[in-house]
Amino acid sequence: MPERLRFDDVEEGDELSARSFFLSKDQVRAYARAGGQWSPRFTDDEGARREGLPGMITPGNMSMGLLASFLEAWAGPGTLRRLGTTFRGLVLPDRTIRLCAAVTQKEDASRSVELDVWLESEEAERLVIGTATVALA
Amino acid sequence: MPLALDPAIIGREFDRTVEGPVTADELVAFARALGETRPEYTEAGPALVAHPTYCVRFRGGRFYPEELLKLIDVRSGFDAGKDIQLGAPVRPGDTIEVRSTVHEVYEKTGRTGSMVFVVIRYTLSNQRGEMLAIVDNRFMHR
Repeated sequence: MPERLRFDDVEEGDELSARSFFLSKDQVRAYARAGGQWSPRFTDDEGARREGLPGMITPGNMSMGLLASFLEAWAGPGTLRRLGTTFRGLVLPDRTIRLCAAVTQKEDASRSVELDVWLESEEAERLVIGTATVALA
Repeated sequence: MPLALDPAIIGREFDRTVEGPVTADELVAFARALGETRPEYTEAGPALVAHPTYCVRFRGGRFYPEELLKLIDVRSGFDAGKDIQLGAPVRPGDTIEVRSTVHEVYEKTGRTGSMVFVVIRYTLSNQRGEMLAIVDNRFMHR
């Protein structure tokens, strides 16, 4: 049975350890293929420029997926109950991105926690922001 | 209500599509593309389930209802964000029924001018009638 984080081990105000990594164009293309979003804006710099973009971009769905994985790496698989996001800026691949979250509220009755989540650039610009609900053991 | 839309459009189902069945290979490829290595999401077998955001793949058979297509150029739209409420996990062999409704239409004025937001709600269920996810997708049009 996969380990789940315990509700009693979490406090409001806790910040998760941020995860920084290099997001490659190949990974974005792999997601576009697997996620049913094979389109020039997500796969090809020239095609994206023809759409008025600076180059190929990361699908918003992929940013959500990365944030979901980040939260479940902390709390355990199958713990995510809700994730809401706003796509504020373009997430350009072949750069380092950082995934971050902080606990904003504990719900005793449901043993769940609310979090602020965001994906930011190396320059700390928040490109995707949102909130999440995670159920704990 | 912007765009001189009939308010009756809100909440009305405009598409119902069944997709699938989902294969284990599709679930594994999706999870691996997100860098997942956990066996629940990446190893075929009885315990395999879909990554929680797999549900955003499903967008039904029609983008907007006819009434909206008359007023909005779909090509002018950008994905502005999503809200996902998760239910039962998607498993290999599942067929997915996607019901699409217009959840909300609203207008905002920003520094760059006026924008219209359309929120389409996709309600996903499997062949057992279990709710898999409710996905609210916000599209922004200038």
